[in-house]
Amino acid sequence: MRYALRLVVSRLGLAVITLLAVSLVIFWTVELLPGDPATRILGQDATPERVKVLREELNLDEPALERYTDWLGGMIRGDWGDSIVAERPVTDYVLPRLENTLILAAYALALYIPLSLTLGIVTAVFRESRFTVWLSAAVLVGTAVPEFVVGILLLLTFAVTLPWFPPLADIDQAQSLPDLLHMLFLPAVTLTLAMTAYAVRMMQSSLVSVLESDYVRMATLKGLSRRRVILRHALPNALGPALRVTVLNIAWLIGGVVLVEVIFTFPGIGQLLIDSIRNLDTPVIEAIALIFAAVYILANLGADLVAAGLNPRLRARAR
Amino acid sequence: MSVAAGSGPVDAPLLPEPVTRPKGVLAFVRRQPLTFLVVSAILAIYVLVAVTGPWWAPYPPDELLTGDPFAPPSWDHLLGTDNFGRDVFSRLVHGERLVLGLALATAGLSVIVGSAVGLLSACLRGWPDELLGRVLEILISIPPLIIALLVLGSLGSSYLLTVSLVALFFAIRVATVIRAAALDVVVEDFVTLAKLRGEPIWSIAGREILPNVSSAVLVEFSLRTGYAVLFIGGLSFLGFGPAPPTPDWGLMINEGRTYISTAPWPVLGPALALAGLVVALSLFTERISEVLGLSVQRAPSQ
Repeated sequence: MRYALRLVVSRLGLAVITLLAVSLVIFWTVELLPGDPATRILGQDATPERVKVLREELNLDEPALERYTDWLGGMIRGDWGDSIVAERPVTDYVLPRLENTLILAAYALALYIPLSLTLGIVTAVFRESRFTVWLSAAVLVGTAVPEFVVGILLLLTFAVTLPWFPPLADIDQAQSLPDLLHMLFLPAVTLTLAMTAYAVRMMQSSLVSVLESDYVRMATLKGLSRRRVILRHALPNALGPALRVTVLNIAWLIGGVVLVEVIFTFPGIGQLLIDSIRNLDTPVIEAIALIFAAVYILANLGADLVAAGLNPRLRARAR
Repeated sequence: MSVAAGSGPVDAPLLPEPVTRPKGVLAFVRRQPLTFLVVSAILAIYVLVAVTGPWWAPYPPDELLTGDPFAPPSWDHLLGTDNFGRDVFSRLVHGERLVLGLALATAGLSVIVGSAVGLLSACLRGWPDELLGRVLEILISIPPLIIALLVLGSLGSSYLLTVSLVALFFAIRVATVIRAAALDVVVEDFVTLAKLRGEPIWSIAGREILPNVSSAVLVEFSLRTGYAVLFIGGLSFLGFGPAPPTPDWGLMINEGRTYISTAPWPVLGPALALAGLVVALSLFTERISEVLGLSVQRAPSQ
């Protein structure tokens, strides 16, 4: 147990260091944004006096390091500053959008888990059938096609040509839960398809190696039903890699969600990030980038821990 | 991966022996599965179009009103026209050079930098290697797309910046893979022997280890080219790529999106061209890694 604890602590430490490094990169990059924030707020024809007053209000004359620590402290305390464009607290602005994105991500994950489990099992168990060969090819293509192309094609087919779904996923217009699920179906499916492709590939290969192992053959020879052998004996040993790829998929969602939100004009945090970069709204950019980075780093940490937990040598030492 | 370069001539090749067996090129080609031949042919067509396209494309890429705006596909306009009446097919053909060029430059740069770092780290061993391994672990969990958007948003997009930025993110991943492969080789006797002979470190990295990890380098290059098309395409789609009226595919998809219900062609053309290129590259990578006896760990990226 001692070893496991040490592993978790050291990984967690590394994650914190990474997050600090990323926060520094984010702050430094956003500082490079062209133009002075004070001039940006007041417009080009503001008098120098007013710019000077506002610069003081925004603490722009302080050294960069001090502003960085102030900003980071504020982010941790939950005081994220004010949006330059909307002139209201960043939290009011960002949190509802974050909620929307989380709903979309949860929807995509809810579709992804049963779909990838089923496909993973089917492709592994019936690995010699013609259908599986085609399915595997489709999965391979699925890992390669860019998600924004998939999104565009779905939009074109199921919202424009066949008007089954709305082309704009305007979540605020949703009246009821079925309405919401209908409205968000296309963006969620776009995310699901990309994630499923990776997971099925991973599950298939790990499940095939388990199915061909001696203990599974033994279980079959003992006369257990095929169903029991697959679900009770083989599947648990193939779930680990699937879990790892799922956690990595959550990290992938960070990028995927930005593109998908833009395609379907979904009022989420990714769309807001793009808009804020266009509008040079520094406090909003910094807050969103840090949220994304934190999720990405945590997901990577999770994947590492799952991988460590799956390694029998480490597991043995942990006992 | 069987040649012990240390015992061979010092000027061992930096790239692997071509995968042709003694039986000759034709026999090798015949042994390949049909899909691989098709995929190679598709990639060859893409390259051919990129190289020769601008000479035979029916219209210049940014000539306005070559026909009516939003004209459907016809013999005059194979893929129709966009909102400015520009010929979509011609723009696609002209843009190919850019898409492929940027991707190859990015992949090349990332593989050169990443391999150099990975090899040196493995050769040094001991604490410098441990430290570098940790640094790579930190760098690999920086979200590439988000940081790329911030940097391109701040500094403005340029080809040089996009290529070097994406190559930097990819180099981190290449370095991790090459370091792992090189660490397996570095414990071999011929490396120890070379060290005892007093060979300098870059000579050990370049002449002893590199030839033994060259398959991994080659597979990484192929893999990264596909990822680069995807990543840079995504950036241009989000509006962080070349400025209009560049016939860049990602940008074309972005611009055509507004009119998608009136005319799907300006979007469909570049979207399918992009998807075809990435899928072909991915299948190609799959096959060459199989031939070279490596397994590609294809994790979701971005």
